[in-house]
Amino acid sequence: MEMHPRVREQTRSEFDTLIPDESELTANVRIEPGRAYGFFTDTTVCIGCKACEVACKEWNNLPADNIGLTGESYDNTGALSANTWRHVSFIEKPVLRHDLQQPFQSGWLMMSDVCKHCHNAPCLEACPTGAIFKTEFDTVVVQQDICNGCGYCVPACPFGVVDVSKVDGKAHKCTLCYDRLKGGLEPACAKSCPTDSIQFGELHKLQARAQERVAELHALGVANAYLYGTPGAAGATGDLQYLNAFFLLTDRPETYNLPAAPTRPANRVAPALTSGLATVAGLAVAALALFARRW
Amino acid sequence: MDLADRADIAPPTPEEPPPVRRHPSEPMPRWPSGWQGPTYYGRAQLKAAPFENGVVGGYIFFAGLSGASALLSTIASTASPRASAALERRARWLTLLAPVLGAPLLIYDLHTPKRFYNMLRVAKGTSPMSIGTWILSAFSASAFLASGAGWWGDRRPNRRGWRRLSTLARWSSALAGAGLSTYTAALLSATSTPLWAAAPRSLAARFGASSMATGAASLALGQRGRTRRNLDAITAAALAAELTATLVSHHRYSRSGIAGAFQTPWGRLEEGGATALGLVAPLAMYGATLARGGRSPLPALATLAGSLLFRISIMGVGDVSARDPELSFRFAQPDNLPGAHSPSRASG
Ligand code: SF4
Repeated sequence: MEMHPRVREQTRSEFDTLIPDESELTANVRIEPGRAYGFFTDTTVCIGCKACEVACKEWNNLPADNIGLTGESYDNTGALSANTWRHVSFIEKPVLRHDLQQPFQSGWLMMSDVCKHCHNAPCLEACPTGAIFKTEFDTVVVQQDICNGCGYCVPACPFGVVDVSKVDGKAHKCTLCYDRLKGGLEPACAKSCPTDSIQFGELHKLQARAQERVAELHALGVANAYLYGTPGAAGATGDLQYLNAFFLLTDRPETYNLPAAPTRPANRVAPALTSGLATVAGLAVAALALFARRW
Repeated sequence: MDLADRADIAPPTPEEPPPVRRHPSEPMPRWPSGWQGPTYYGRAQLKAAPFENGVVGGYIFFAGLSGASALLSTIASTASPRASAALERRARWLTLLAPVLGAPLLIYDLHTPKRFYNMLRVAKGTSPMSIGTWILSAFSASAFLASGAGWWGDRRPNRRGWRRLSTLARWSSALAGAGLSTYTAALLSATSTPLWAAAPRSLAARFGASSMATGAASLALGQRGRTRRNLDAITAAALAAELTATLVSHHRYSRSGIAGAFQTPWGRLEEGGATALGLVAPLAMYGATLARGGRSPLPALATLAGSLLFRISIMGVGDVSARDPELSFRFAQPDNLPGAHSPSRASG
């Protein structure tokens, strides 16, 4: 990624004001309402440092979930939750590539998981209060002053992301740093990622960059690299169309705790309603015939 | 691109092909249940609904009972007005169960109950919870109007206007009642919880039939004569329809590879409690007494208990399927996508 010319103007190391459109300097992205933004998480360069988890907690003022060890590799966070909006998963595999790798060398897969900001977002479609909405940046956000904690978004999400907090009784999840985007700042996790495993940007540019990255990896001999959540790929199945936060993976989706072929729950509303009403109508007609007979 | 054909994410081929039943006398084949591949330390892939099963299941029961009794009593008094006067009076009370008991249960289950009115901010076709909010609102308004005007009209025999208003409101509550007795199935189906999502059509047929059975059974309690026989016959027909839909949905769970969710306490409650004792048993009792006309309230009570148990246990089995990554991953395989070309495509 080439550096933005405006970077040269910033000679200070301490700031008392915001740099206008700071994201141009840090991510080479100008944030403007009306455009679609997202995350491209390239798991092949994730080093499992959890800077994203920490940056997310700090910026969003989120409490810790689990203080202790899980025994599951270096993952002591466990899962996304109402208080955890980035989660780095660690998968220890004995040998990744027999030809190049010594067995004692890294067999680790690491992935920073996050809300996928689905195009046809099931949580949003399920929300009965309109608390969950699509922002001007094409991201999915829960409005905390409206949510009444019905919890229907929780089973709606095909990725097990959104969660109702036991503390305040509202649904919480990643906002793709809605407040930072409004201020021209790159989301905290992407800004803090030291290897650019998390890339923030305009969605169509990210998708093109991700395709190039897959081609590059294939050329390097990593034949199992593929995208999860781009149009037509795994994770974007069943009428979800595409995910604004998508991933480059090198193993089956389930390895990373992701579903291979999720579906769009709203597509089941009409079949269920028509079948239920038809059953009731059939029995109602039978009842009418019984009550109307003269014998 | 067909995901099922992609080597990198296609499911590992099962060792044995899915079993085929060659003759109806053979027992139902057992399809391999669960995902055979990797999971993430056995952790859940989905989050289970944060509903209280007894509370939401109870609401679904009362909504179905009220909705169906509004529909059935309106039909009865339209078809034979004179024979149905007592039925109509009983229905006045039954239709008020959904607004008086059901709605508070729903509000109690919210995690921020004092904001319940935010449900009325929007109307959304993609959200059965929003659809249901409006159905329940329409039903409650018309049920109160119908019951109130009917009660008042009974005391003023000359005021025909009250009776007419009551009839109008009853028809409105009958229509809303049809929706109220079945939208809850759409609410469960339109989620990512595997067991609720696997069989939207047959789950809704079960919910609709179960509601009609409870509506007829509760109207029949204390009723005598021909009306009682008619209501018993309707209950029996509804139970038969429910049993058929139950068999279809279980076949569907088995074909989607998630039938393992029933090998749990919730599953045994659904199969042994709700289906065997609360559905098959009353159906048999009705079958035995239908010709003579039974006196015992037992089949009606068993029907009511069975329906309540069914609504609660299906919530529990759903939670099981969401918490178990082997069931969630199995369900989210490309062969379970709508329109996929696998043998499990028969819609249900
Ligand atoms: S991943 Fe889940 S929480 Fe995020 S937008 Fe999609 S449905 Fe909503």
